Amino acid sequence: MSNDILFLAEFSAGKAARSALELATGAAELASQSGGSAVALAYGAGAASGAAALGAHGAARAIVLGDEDQPAITYAPAAVAAARDGGLAVLAPATPNGRDLAAALVGSLDLPAFGPVRAARVVDGVLESEQATLQGSVITTARPAEGAPSPSVVLVLANTFTPAEGGSGSAEVSQAPEAGESALSRAAVAERHEADAKVVNLEEATVIVAGGRGVGGEDGFGPLRELAEALGGAVGASRAAADAGWIPYQLQIGQTGKVVKPSLYIGAGISGAIQHRVGMQTAEHVIAVNRDPDAPIGEFADLFVVGDLFQIIPALTEEIRRRKTASGGQG
Amino acid sequence: MKIVVCIKQVPATGADKRYTDEMRLDRVGVEAIINPLDEYAIEQALRLLDAGTADSVTYLSMGPDQASEALRRALAMGGHDAVLITDTALAGADEWTTAKVLAAALDKLAPDVALMGMASDDARGSLVPGAVAAMRDVPLLSYGSELTLADGEARVRRLSATGFDWIAAPLPVVATVTDQVGEPRYASLKGIMAAKRKPLETWSLSDLDLSPDSLHGAALTMVTATRAPEEKPPTERIENVPAPEAAVKIADWLEQRKLI
Ligand SMILES: Cc1cc2nc3c(=O)[nH]c(=O)nc-3n(C[C@H](O)[C@H](O)[C@H](O)COP(=O)(O)OP(=O)(O)OC[C@H]3O[C@@H](n4cnc5c(N)ncnc54)[C@H](O)[C@@H]3O)c2cc1C
Ligand SMILES: Nc1ncnc2c1ncn2[C@@H]1O[C@H](COP(=O)(O)O)[C@@H](O)[C@H]1O
Repeated sequence: MSNDILFLAEFSAGKAARSALELATGAAELASQSGGSAVALAYGAGAASGAAALGAHGAARAIVLGDEDQPAITYAPAAVAAARDGGLAVLAPATPNGRDLAAALVGSLDLPAFGPVRAARVVDGVLESEQATLQGSVITTARPAEGAPSPSVVLVLANTFTPAEGGSGSAEVSQAPEAGESALSRAAVAERHEADAKVVNLEEATVIVAGGRGVGGEDGFGPLRELAEALGGAVGASRAAADAGWIPYQLQIGQTGKVVKPSLYIGAGISGAIQHRVGMQTAEHVIAVNRDPDAPIGEFADLFVVGDLFQIIPALTEEIRRRKTASGGQG
Repeated sequence: MKIVVCIKQVPATGADKRYTDEMRLDRVGVEAIINPLDEYAIEQALRLLDAGTADSVTYLSMGPDQASEALRRALAMGGHDAVLITDTALAGADEWTTAKVLAAALDKLAPDVALMGMASDDARGSLVPGAVAAMRDVPLLSYGSELTLADGEARVRRLSATGFDWIAAPLPVVATVTDQVGEPRYASLKGIMAAKRKPLETWSLSDLDLSPDSLHGAALTMVTATRAPEEKPPTERIENVPAPEAAVKIADWLEQRKLI
């Protein structure tokens, strides 16, 4: 059994997902503790040509599972073949695709599963991880049981690791070993419906301005969009706003939406229901704007601004623009 | 067409929860409910039953004795019968063990569709469905905002990066659905009365030809420590000031933290 740290590296439309870069750096960090190498399991459109570049972020090797634009779960047999040879852990992004593949590894190879975790380290040759449970009220530390098989499968939240930049290394690329027959590869895209407008990937945003029912309608998101632009961020939403059709579901934050960990989250017209909170509570800084002084979000925000969002958000946008211009656009 | 809906009993959302000295969730005295996301799986199954696409809906749960309450509640919403897998050897089961046990039970029940929620409130891994699919070697169709069944094939409508896809696979499958399938129905009084007479079987590990040994005790993982999260500084408040003044204060706050 090796001490390698494997990680799932998703590609789409010719590009590595940000999670792939984060996990490359995280895997390299853990591999330096375990005395092994960081190994990418790369899949999706662009994986074959893009895998080597993961070396710049920490990957020593990359195994290409496949290069097609097809459901991630269909790469499970190849991932299983690649992980069968061992390693200490497989890191997977805590996204729907990452979870599907992680689950397939757990079920196919009878592996211990962890996460979604917010920290990991190698202690005495085993991977130990930290997870927030019970709606964030308790942090648990977990490790494989005595004699449990390896690798451990670990779901990792976005922004747990910061991608190392500026590296020039190139990962040594190989093809996945021959995979056995598996029903998991039988899922196929029957129909594809693209939206007209491009939707940002919220998991990759470092600043998020989120709107809820208090925004009042599609147009109400206008001022939020302007603030997001001034801050170089993206717009997100509560389920209430997505359910109302004011904003695409891809931008929903929460238990059944995206789990985000930006450096700044600003919530406007969002009450802070538990299902929303679990999607954003690990943001580094939380500002809430709500006209109800008793809104639950006021209990866990770092800065709680009581007032009408339609007055406060535009005023803030203007103030930020003013300061940026004053400092010569350096921000 | 036969559907088995896997439901988990979990502590009520927002209930006061803690860990025991054995590093397990203390379930004593905590109100228990059907995992809220599993109610959407129930709703999806019952819609297929209402439409005549499905002929039978069975509920399956692994948990302590009192998880039978969750099964009765599901039966009150609709459906035909239920199976509870309970065994003292399963205390402290993790996701691998849960999947192993559910997979064995599903082998016995042999449904066309094993329908699950997208995540459980307490574990939040969304790993059980995919692990079950891998163990049973059937396709996984996950995160559906709708599930359809026709011509020996199942399809889910799933959000993509920019729009949505329909993803298809031949039956039998494991499928999971999200809270976008439509609001779960309430149990009617008639439904609650009827549920009392619906069959509910209880199985133990031996009924599934599983032993504690084959389950590695009850878990491949262990919790070694629990602690409170890092203390956050108390919330700062800005109130009762005109918007332009509030804006200056917020911008100062952001600047102090190098966020602008
Ligand atoms: C199984 C399940 C899963 C769920 N998953 C999610 C999820 O992933 N994400 C999610 O967000 N929710 C989720 N929910 C829904 C969640 O429970 C809440 O209903 C939802 O988050 C509420 O959205 P909101 O805060 O926008 O609306 P509300 O709770 O209605 O809050 C609106 C807020 O806006 C304020 N407001 C109104 N007008 C103004 C104004 N002019 N200026 C300032 N403030 C104003 C009000 O004071 C209020 O606090 C889920 C629910 C269930 C049952
Ligand atoms: N103990 C259990 N009994 C029945 N179904 C379960 C159990 N645990 C998990 N599931 C199913 O698996 C789904 C995902 O759970 P999880 O992987 O724990 O997030 C749930 O929504 C349930 O449908």
